[in-house]
Amino acid sequence: MSASVNRRHFLRASSIGAGVGLAWLAGGRAPAFAQKRELTFLSWNHFVPAADDELRKQAEAFAKQANCSVRVDTMAHLQMPAKIAAEAQSQAGHDMFRTASADTFLYESLLVSLDDVVDKLGKQGGGWYPFAAEMNQTKSGWKGVPWFWVSFPGTYNMAHFKKAGFEHPPKTWDELLRQGKVLKKQGNPVGIPISHCSDAHSTYWSVAWSNGAKVLEADGKTPGIVSDKTAQVIEWYKELFKDAMDPEVLSWDDAGNNRFILSGKGSWIHNPISPYNAALKEKMPIADDINHHNSPAGPAGTHSAPPILGIGIWKFSKNADLAKEFIQFLFRKENYDAWIVASNAFNHPPLRHLADHPIWAKNPKFAMLPKEAEFAHPRGWPGKPSDAVQRIDDNYVMADMVAKAIGGMPTKRAMEWCQDQIARAVKGQLKVG
Amino acid sequence: MAVGGRVLQAAGVASAGRLARVHAWWEQEHVFGYGLILPAFVLIGCLVAYPFGMALYFSLSDYWVGSPGQFVGLGNYREILGNEVFRQTVANSFLFTAIALTGKTVLGVWLALLLARNLRGKRLLRGAVLLPWVIPTALSTLGWGWMFDSLYSVVNWTGIHLGLIAPPGPNWLGMPNYAMAAVIIVNIWRGLPFFAITVLAGLVSIPREYYEAAEVDGASSFGRFRYVTLPLLKPVLAVVILFSTIFTFNDFNIVYVLTRGGPVNTTHLFATYAYQIGLQGGNLGQGAAISLFMLPTLGLVVFFQLRYIRKE
Repeated sequence: MSASVNRRHFLRASSIGAGVGLAWLAGGRAPAFAQKRELTFLSWNHFVPAADDELRKQAEAFAKQANCSVRVDTMAHLQMPAKIAAEAQSQAGHDMFRTASADTFLYESLLVSLDDVVDKLGKQGGGWYPFAAEMNQTKSGWKGVPWFWVSFPGTYNMAHFKKAGFEHPPKTWDELLRQGKVLKKQGNPVGIPISHCSDAHSTYWSVAWSNGAKVLEADGKTPGIVSDKTAQVIEWYKELFKDAMDPEVLSWDDAGNNRFILSGKGSWIHNPISPYNAALKEKMPIADDINHHNSPAGPAGTHSAPPILGIGIWKFSKNADLAKEFIQFLFRKENYDAWIVASNAFNHPPLRHLADHPIWAKNPKFAMLPKEAEFAHPRGWPGKPSDAVQRIDDNYVMADMVAKAIGGMPTKRAMEWCQDQIARAVKGQLKVG
Repeated sequence: MAVGGRVLQAAGVASAGRLARVHAWWEQEHVFGYGLILPAFVLIGCLVAYPFGMALYFSLSDYWVGSPGQFVGLGNYREILGNEVFRQTVANSFLFTAIALTGKTVLGVWLALLLARNLRGKRLLRGAVLLPWVIPTALSTLGWGWMFDSLYSVVNWTGIHLGLIAPPGPNWLGMPNYAMAAVIIVNIWRGLPFFAITVLAGLVSIPREYYEAAEVDGASSFGRFRYVTLPLLKPVLAVVILFSTIFTFNDFNIVYVLTRGGPVNTTHLFATYAYQIGLQGGNLGQGAAISLFMLPTLGLVVFFQLRYIRKE
């Protein structure tokens, strides 16, 4: 066989192969064997993995009922913004996805309006908590269904507090500072991340609001960071860092504080209940020592900025109606209850009636969690949530402001730096509608 | 080589008409040659040129994820230049690249000289040296993350037990200078095999006679390195440094996994900051401008280095 014949055969075969491939691509549709109706859902890797197992189980049950297939894909929460952005940009991907922060505002024009679903579920479930509703209600309608929220209480080691002579965990941020100084001397510092992770901001919003400080004014546009109140918050952080925490808080990721309390070294963190759940699951003895208490208060009351998650449906989805049915299926009382149990009280319902669940009473360490709903706000409060608020969070500007001040930058200069960064985030605000 | 229809007819083979003409056209040297490179050209066009063109366009427009923007000229570039975090990112990138590149060059040449010796288990050693280069960066960086962890740092533990570090040891990823040192160390660790193996290839191609002649002339080992090895390695080194400059400037994984640009943006590089602004924040225009900012400088570096290599 000559070389030229080989070459021709090769070229012919590859041309035919390429031709078939291109024709398939140009057709823009899957071949006939893959045409069964498939609903796809992009979610996060839940901090309590059993919750994802339960979600997949319910997806299977729905698939049987609706005679379709449902695929639930999960990925690390920090990678989700990029994945969602890629799907928005390419107008292709999953039918529905787990929204977080201000995704519904960022992608407002690309998401299906869910007014009908929200209205129906709201009436059945005794109404939505206002903070959960605000995160999904854009000027052009409901672009997400509030799915669940994650309480952000204080988590403390009872043994360390007892050893230090404290009867109860801190009721205020100032009390935390006083107790933290003693606890650090005892070898059990407290810990709040001041780093590039989402927990750092969850706590900052809470501390700032409790002290009457703001990030944005009520119009949602005017930066409100430079103020005496913020200066007080920064001074509080500086003192807490110096006298009650270890420098490691400057390097934490979202799991840093979990490791800190579970290691037995830390005495207090501000975090969802995931460390306790992890300790229970792994049968760690420290589970007995860990307990929770409501987020501390400040001169301006108690306020918290819990993560609020929702579900959105892309306009490019060809299965929008099916996706709406699936959302309603997930909200059936028996399904939602099973999901709360699977998450071991990590997932909090955004509907008032669903919040009436035996799991909160079953374990005294969970009893105070539903109360967290009373002082929760969307980030950006007193302004409305917006994509600008998400950019402020994504760029960790308040955590950086505090870290700069701790690093020696004068407080005023640190606030001005932060104000400049916030102004930039607001300037880039998308036009709504 | 080309066989046309007329030749086929003359040879008594029946012409297949149109198909034969296509065959004849296809088999012309210039058509066939271009035909062969066409697939590669299409691939480069689709996977390199098109995204590059789009990035260039994004950087000149007010483009947000999912919402096409208007042409704004150099507005994005002006905006990022006014941003203190970006200016810090530029400084970080130069510092990171300069130190990492110097480290990789010095250690790479040193390692190559060691590997060039006739040691027992030479092949195994040469293979093992490549490991950091072969392991997926995200995975190995996670390992480094644990080594630099604030609570469980094996680096600190070892240092403290050897009496080299005062307890509790540095907070590697939480203090600006240490964090920069950490990402540079990991970058050097990862890039070293590329340097060492490429330089080793250059070393083994140097004829033994030069060294013998130098020895006869009484050159010391340093003299042989200075006046024989180094001049003959220059072309190889120039190429490796060129590639490594580009790779190091554009590093993403190491910083993203270890520090996410922190503490206080002191380890942000162009790629990580562009990701934060463009994909996490949705501002594709500014994100593209950040990632393309160094293009002219890098272009000049490549131009001069390639010219130097050609001269050599």
